[in-house]
Amino acid sequence: MSRPELLVVGGGIVGLSAAIAAAQHGAAVTLIDAAINAGTTANAGSLHVQLQSRFLRLYPDQAHNVEASLHLYLEAVREWDRLEANHGPFEMVRHGGLMLAENATQLKFLEAKARREAARGLDVDILERAALGRIAPWLGPQVFGAELCRDEGKLNPLTANIRLRAVARRLGTTFVKDRIVTLTVGDNVQLRGELGLYKADQAIVAAAWGSGRLLGGLGLALPSRAEPLHMNITEPAAASIQHLVQHAERSITLKQLQSGQIVIGGGWPAQSRGDDVVPAVLADSVLGNIALAGKLVPGIRELRVIRTWAGMNTTVDGKTALGRIPGAERVIVAVPGDAGYTLGPLCGRLASELAAGLPGEVDTGPYSPARFAAR
Amino acid sequence: MARRGQSLAAALADAGHRVFRHTVKGSPRGVFCGMGICQDCLVSVNGAPNQRACATMVTAGADVRRQEPRPSLAPAATVAAAPPVARADLLEPDILIVGGGAGGLNAAAVAARAGARVLVLDERKVAGGQYFKQSAAGLSALDAQQAQGAALLAAARAAGAQLLEGTEVWGAFAGPELYAVTAAGEPLILRPRQLIVATGAFERPLMVPGWTLPGVMTTGAAQILWRSYRSLPGRRIAVCGSGPLNLQVALELARAGSDVRLVAESAASPVWHPVTALALLLADPSLVSAGIGMRLRLQLAGVPVRYRTELVSVAEGPARELRATFRRSGREETLELDALCMNDGFEPQNEILRLLGADLSYDPVFGHLRCMRTSNMLTSVAGVYAVGDCCGLGGAPAALAEGRIAGAAAAAACGLTVNEDIDAARRELTRARRFQARLWALHDPAPRALDKLSEDTIICRCEEVSLAVLRAGISDGADHIGDVKRATRAGMGCCQGRYCGPVAARLVSEASGRSLIDSSFFAPRVPIKPVSVGVLLATQEALDVQA
Ligand SMILES: Cc1cc2nc3c(=O)[nH]c(=O)nc-3n(C[C@H](O)[C@H](O)[C@H](O)COP(=O)(O)OP(=O)(O)OC[C@H]3O[C@@H](n4cnc5c(N)ncnc54)[C@H](O)[C@@H]3O)c2cc1C
Repeated sequence: MSRPELLVVGGGIVGLSAAIAAAQHGAAVTLIDAAINAGTTANAGSLHVQLQSRFLRLYPDQAHNVEASLHLYLEAVREWDRLEANHGPFEMVRHGGLMLAENATQLKFLEAKARREAARGLDVDILERAALGRIAPWLGPQVFGAELCRDEGKLNPLTANIRLRAVARRLGTTFVKDRIVTLTVGDNVQLRGELGLYKADQAIVAAAWGSGRLLGGLGLALPSRAEPLHMNITEPAAASIQHLVQHAERSITLKQLQSGQIVIGGGWPAQSRGDDVVPAVLADSVLGNIALAGKLVPGIRELRVIRTWAGMNTTVDGKTALGRIPGAERVIVAVPGDAGYTLGPLCGRLASELAAGLPGEVDTGPYSPARFAAR
Repeated sequence: MARRGQSLAAALADAGHRVFRHTVKGSPRGVFCGMGICQDCLVSVNGAPNQRACATMVTAGADVRRQEPRPSLAPAATVAAAPPVARADLLEPDILIVGGGAGGLNAAAVAARAGARVLVLDERKVAGGQYFKQSAAGLSALDAQQAQGAALLAAARAAGAQLLEGTEVWGAFAGPELYAVTAAGEPLILRPRQLIVATGAFERPLMVPGWTLPGVMTTGAAQILWRSYRSLPGRRIAVCGSGPLNLQVALELARAGSDVRLVAESAASPVWHPVTALALLLADPSLVSAGIGMRLRLQLAGVPVRYRTELVSVAEGPARELRATFRRSGREETLELDALCMNDGFEPQNEILRLLGADLSYDPVFGHLRCMRTSNMLTSVAGVYAVGDCCGLGGAPAALAEGRIAGAAAAAACGLTVNEDIDAARRELTRARRFQARLWALHDPAPRALDKLSEDTIICRCEEVSLAVLRAGISDGADHIGDVKRATRAGMGCCQGRYCGPVAARLVSEASGRSLIDSSFFAPRVPIKPVSVGVLLATQEALDVQA
């Protein structure tokens, strides 16, 4: 019997993970990637679990979607644990994440948030200043308290990407650099690229911001939008900061990599120059993002920032889009919700399990793209 | 004993210290570029880590230490209690000139004479640029070249231009809006009406096994030690690579008392180029006679100059001496040295131009990007002019002429009347460019071929990435320079890819068959130079106050 053929569009963390899992299930996988503006090559490597205040603030109408997905984030970091064990090291640690409050109101907000999260199975705690100071003595004196989410962590995405790509290659994945322009479904799936024509029994679309355009022809209005984001990195310092650091009200993620470098990001905007061009860095983001970091962690003020960059994140509606396309069942979409690098490996594996018809341990029903189907 | 007006690097060199620090991987490092870009001479001063010894001046009682590869974070309480960084200033000159070398100073003088409010920023303690390298201790001029630089500086000041020395630009954004830090650590926000970029070039090294060893430095670094600080890089010296600067510095060091054992030039002797030599003579008799005079003087000083001679490798000997191996017509010779100087051409410091989106194109003869400009030195970006070597190598005489033209054009763009003989400057520029082209025809201005280089040669000094690793990354599917960076970490260190970037770009181009263009090089990103979190915080606070 010939092996089932699977096309994967998009070579980011989702597409790579889907290719790996599908090959392990015995599929012959061709991964087609335009290799432009992948969030996967630009991201910060934060493993997010708790509700991100940035997201709640920016997209309040979508907050319930993220909250309803919390168990998916828990599953996702466990998936990373498995990947680290099987294919690591990715310089991954899970020492937890701190979301900081600078006043009583902010801490109250975190307390309410923590209750909601605990109800959904997250391992969270509220720390008053004294307890916080014991585990994070590097915090500025103005920090009032924090929520600790023990499920959170960090890794080096560069290392993880390289290793996972090598795994996919070892498993026989064919890598093609091309951009898919049209997608048609009949007795099989046909993808027309700028360079070639590709056919297979099924396809997984893991093309992030490029997914909506591809699926439009199948009657699906997937609102995948490119969101240009900003990042910074300093020169190395002695290992001091174990946690992933965030703020209750302001956009920031801060963490220290194994190299000793401090990575600072958290969703400050960059300037789009079109989906095909790497976004530009904005002065306001460099200054605002770093200034906030220097206030929260004063000990980094002597360190020099050596690089900033900008990359393309993808937003949908706060919730992952994962499942077969209604009326075009040979096609499976896999676009993760917020914090897509965290969710990526799980989304990729679940998509390939759908393709293989395997019963997954996660109910993907709530994430079905049917919610975007034209009525 | 450190002297006043000396850099820490010069004082440490005088005291016989070559190794300033060790990398995370344990490799020793010392002075390399001498001009603030390589970040290899980092030391800890009064407890503050990551200070460039080449850009930090000696102060009485300073506690200078070898720093840890990964210095500790300052305790939060100490920092919070420390006085904040000085408040940022917002400056809005008519004309901002970045770089106070030949081009920038001339532009400043011309524009200020026309009545423009001109501000010149230069990262060195004393402006003058790489050609006119000035004494940092206020000593009298060593020779006519240094005297001409002093006169240029005086003319710019007399015309009313304001000079901020020791000031480093870290950011350039649309507007143009620039951000800088002064010598005192004070942040600056700059919103000029017109901008003239005159940031010059840095030296292209000769990458061979051992080129990262302390004691190996650029020819310009050795020249700065001598011209700016009256220090010598060592007693036994060799100079290698290609180009006229090597000859000049060899002579200067020999006269200053170093034992210059060899000048190794990779090009053939000018005797083999009679036609080019003759053309040079016709283009500018005075400069050629100066050149011939140089050869004579080197001979008199007992400095052997060997052509078609290549540096093969550098190693450290048992007595910590450098052992540099050279090859000439198949024969190898090893010299014992205290310092090895190298210059194999120049790379333009075009970061500001690239950040602002100016059009550049690749020049295969010199192996670097050239900035496209109108005859008025206006780039493709409105209000942004560019002069001198930051646009691609052109030499000091051309930079001087371009500075005059750009200064006049920028002043006119501010609505001022300019009484300057621009036609004379244009004629001067034509002559200078003709001469420059012929001069370099006697040398090897293109980057060295990579196929003969040994695979274990370090290409990225900061992250210590070898040629073999770069090649492996490329054959593993990295087909754009950004992929190569992510796959190998080349270019992710503190020098921000200045040395490895051009090599990585050429490797990708060779592997892919795509010719080199602006986007073949590392994407331009701020900060242009590493800048502390504290400075950025102070800049943001000043903007908050303003709003
Ligand atoms: C600066 C930044 C920081 C981030 N930090 C974090 C973080 O710390 N933690 C976290 O969890 N998440 C983070 N994210 C989000 C995360 O990076 C992304 O959500 C995630 O990587 C998306 O993975 P993906 O595989 O879905 O898509 P991507 O990695 O975006 O890959 C999609 C690929 O599809 C290709 N493609 C698109 N259209 C087509 C087409 N028609 N044909 C062929 N190929 C196509 C693209 O070129 C691209 O290569 C960050 C994002 C950014 C931008």
